[in-house]
Amino acid sequence: MNKDLERLISLHDLDVMISDLQNKDIQKQEKKLGLSPAAAVVELKKMRSELSLLITRRNRDMYDQLASHYGNAVVPVIHERCSGCFTQLPTAFVASPDRNKRVETCPACGRFIYWCD
Amino acid sequence: MKRPIFSNWSITSVTRKTALAELLKLFSFQKTTEELLLTALETREQAEPTIVHNGIAMPHCRSILVDDFMIAVGKSEKGIPWPGKKVKIIILFITPVKPSGPEEHMKLIKHLAKLLRTDGAEKLLKADSPIEAASILHFTLQESKQNEQRP
Repeated sequence: MNKDLERLISLHDLDVMISDLQNKDIQKQEKKLGLSPAAAVVELKKMRSELSLLITRRNRDMYDQLASHYGNAVVPVIHERCSGCFTQLPTAFVASPDRNKRVETCPACGRFIYWCD
Repeated sequence: MKRPIFSNWSITSVTRKTALAELLKLFSFQKTTEELLLTALETREQAEPTIVHNGIAMPHCRSILVDDFMIAVGKSEKGIPWPGKKVKIIILFITPVKPSGPEEHMKLIKHLAKLLRTDGAEKLLKADSPIEAASILHFTLQESKQNEQRP
């Protein structure tokens, strides 16, 4: 898999983690387990900054724009459709042997897409 | 909450990261998926170790790389440095990122918190088998795909 694509997926999962730990209901449950979600968020945000610097500027900026617009900037392709907007992807696009070896975006919504091979 | 779980009742790893990798192998993911999930779980642990009881860790995250709940329970007789404290039982779970939000993820944490805060944690540490552990957690033990592939 393309390294930038791997980092974009990790960045997305990290953003989900941060968002979850800022969710009041999840915070409440994590505290009941003896965990400290607020402290974890501080550390995760530092890690996020470090990770985002490893992503090429163009993709990083695009990720931030997509995330603020849609909430999710990276989505898997499921049954040859972008799972963000459910648009059927062109056959040539889907059949490409290089899929996941390049950073691809959905031609309809622009989200980063990857194949769960 | 009768969810299927996988188990490894004889974890041989001696570090947190390798123990997480050993448990992730139970799900038989593709290599890249496995590596990315390991990164996510390890990142969470680096931010704050998820030790929820003396001897029990609960590494967890939500990820776009899974489309269903992935739960595994593991046991190490010798204990794994986490890194400050020794962990003998690991309850690992990864939940999918759904448009509906983190509701199901929260429910699972709530379910485990409730069990562990009563006498579940002590029972789990004394459990003799993965079947017993699954029963304590109110889950259903599932045969690992990794084991199924063995001759």
